[in-house]
Amino acid sequence: MKLLLVGMNHRSAPVEMRERFAIDDPAPALEKLVAGDEIEEAVLISTCNRVEIVVQTPNVEAARHRLVRFFGTEWPAGPQGSGGSEWATRTHGAAIEDHLYVYRDAEAIAHVFRVASAIDSMVVGEPQILGQVKDAYRHAVDAGSCGPILSRLFQRAFATAKRVRSETRIGHGAVSMARIGVDLVAQVFEDLGSKKALLVGAGEMVEAALAALQGNGLGHATIANRSLERARDLAERFGVTAFGLDALPRLLAEADVVLTSVAVAEPILGVELAREVLARRRGRPVVVIDLGVPRNVAPEVGEIDNVYLYDVDDLQGIASQNAEERQREVARAGRIVSAECQRFEGWLGALEALPTIRDLSARAEALRRAEFERSVARLDLDEEQRAGLETMTRSLVSKLLHHPLTRLRKESDRAEGLALRGAARVLFGLDEPEAGADSEALDDPADDT
Amino acid sequence: MTEFHQAAAAVYLASGIAALLGIVLPSERIARASLYGLVVGAVLQGIAFATLHRAAAPPALTDWVSVGALVAWMAVVVMVFFAWRMRLTTLAAVVGFVAFLFVFASLLKDPSTSVAVAGEAGAWPHAHVLLASAGISLLGVAGLAGIFYLIEHRRLKSKRALKRRVPGPSLEALDRVGVASLAAGFPLLTLGLATGMMWQRSENGVLFAGGPHEVWTLVAWLFYAGVVFVRFRGQQGARQGAATAVAGFVFLTFAVVGVGVLR
Repeated sequence: MKLLLVGMNHRSAPVEMRERFAIDDPAPALEKLVAGDEIEEAVLISTCNRVEIVVQTPNVEAARHRLVRFFGTEWPAGPQGSGGSEWATRTHGAAIEDHLYVYRDAEAIAHVFRVASAIDSMVVGEPQILGQVKDAYRHAVDAGSCGPILSRLFQRAFATAKRVRSETRIGHGAVSMARIGVDLVAQVFEDLGSKKALLVGAGEMVEAALAALQGNGLGHATIANRSLERARDLAERFGVTAFGLDALPRLLAEADVVLTSVAVAEPILGVELAREVLARRRGRPVVVIDLGVPRNVAPEVGEIDNVYLYDVDDLQGIASQNAEERQREVARAGRIVSAECQRFEGWLGALEALPTIRDLSARAEALRRAEFERSVARLDLDEEQRAGLETMTRSLVSKLLHHPLTRLRKESDRAEGLALRGAARVLFGLDEPEAGADSEALDDPADDT
Repeated sequence: MTEFHQAAAAVYLASGIAALLGIVLPSERIARASLYGLVVGAVLQGIAFATLHRAAAPPALTDWVSVGALVAWMAVVVMVFFAWRMRLTTLAAVVGFVAFLFVFASLLKDPSTSVAVAGEAGAWPHAHVLLASAGISLLGVAGLAGIFYLIEHRRLKSKRALKRRVPGPSLEALDRVGVASLAAGFPLLTLGLATGMMWQRSENGVLFAGGPHEVWTLVAWLFYAGVVFVRFRGQQGARQGAATAVAGFVFLTFAVVGVGVLR
């Protein structure tokens, strides 16, 4: 039993290629993959940054060919159309295979653990990936393509991700502008539920910030934008109210959090307006986050008492610092992943030793029983003597096999394990027909007399 | 009694250290454990007080070290109340250490140096010490919240707060603590002053003898009256409110303790 992972991610393939492999319902693909002989179990991970298929196979090379062929010609068409070799060669001048990576056994295990732990993510430590991997696993279980090996692999991956998150600071410190803005607001306000936010602009930054603020329980939000229509579109999606920029002075007085991101030549919030607004707020603090370039808020506004002003450089500096800190944690996370990989490989190795252990025990028991029956037939034994003979033969077999079986179990996850298993199968004739073994090779020499 | 005080001091110290560890590591669990520690410490000290005042010969109430331990105990109770609801581990750490120092100091004190309270004063000394101590402890918490508010304000203004790995208490939480402590502490201080005057009358026949302690305490009370008036009429911003809470407590400490020491 072997593990194989074939896939592409943000480092190996451009976004226009990855999006062609985006898949909403992986069930048909998984069913198709496990229908053949090459693959016994399969899980498909599909996120915006990666498409990977992890399989358990009896034949790695056959499975690799199957998966590459699957990526190249059999991938189900998504909303962006199908991927495929022809499209890839036409668009990128390279075959799909050139954008795929292949990991086998230990490498595949480590990769799955690293993906689940967000070490391999574009934004290291991002929290969404674990949920996406869990979804992929659930889909595979529902599709019936996930057996005991991959189940165990993914359960261990989830446990590893949990360890990484709790034992390192890989997920600490926000790295997105929106998240940093929310953290900043939380340093001023204890409870966002009773607070009002004013978002000036209707672009991506404002959208991301609004989503982050609402995700943290923001009570009330208002959007102000030059184009009222765009503001209304955004407001409708988030269930908030929209205004034109002319309502700004009134809205500013009510807002505890002001976030601006509009393209303007002159600041939309100057010192005079800010002083006038604050007078109406009776000294209640206000957080102003200016994400506009050129700046939307005059820098002098930050000098006013009870105003906490931050611009895009302030936030960018923190984002870089936090990203660096997360990168530093990658080494610690890597050590946890390595330890967990070893544990999993140990389990997998033990699983591989099981057939040999089972066959050896069965062969020994068959021999014991045959010899016991032959002896009982020849000797005139009462019940007590018969029980004693049975106990003695069992004990003898058990003692003889104790050391070999222990070694087979113990070495199962090491290189010697494979050699030992092979030796055991040859020495004890485990792959030979059972019939001749007990009567010919092990005949009692005393029978000759 | 002493055993309970000793145990309370040890638990307060442990709570203060745990709160600091919770901030430095950072660990939410350890920070939360420090709060439980403060609860245990407060219960132990409460038992110690109860045992002390049920004794055949209770110690004098007017002793500064004992009053300090009482004020610290009340501050711990108030702090636990606030910290249970808001992110105030740093404040809890400081209160834990302060409580430890006061309880430890009361353990070192020689009981024979206590000043006895005259019998004819009745219940007034008890009422005065309890009410004034409660007022002082609440205004102390307001002052402490004010100090933290000013520190956090400076950090946020200078943008240093952004670089910090562990977020401190929010300005809003500190302001709420300051406002609530002021709202409860000022009436208690007022009652403490009133019962102090009644104690004075029962001993000397006059409500106001004009001693330095009485005069300065009255000035401190007038200062706080002004602070309360301005704050609750919405004429003062949160930062200014924090600054006056700090100034008020410094003045009150001087009026209650400093004047006596200088004399």
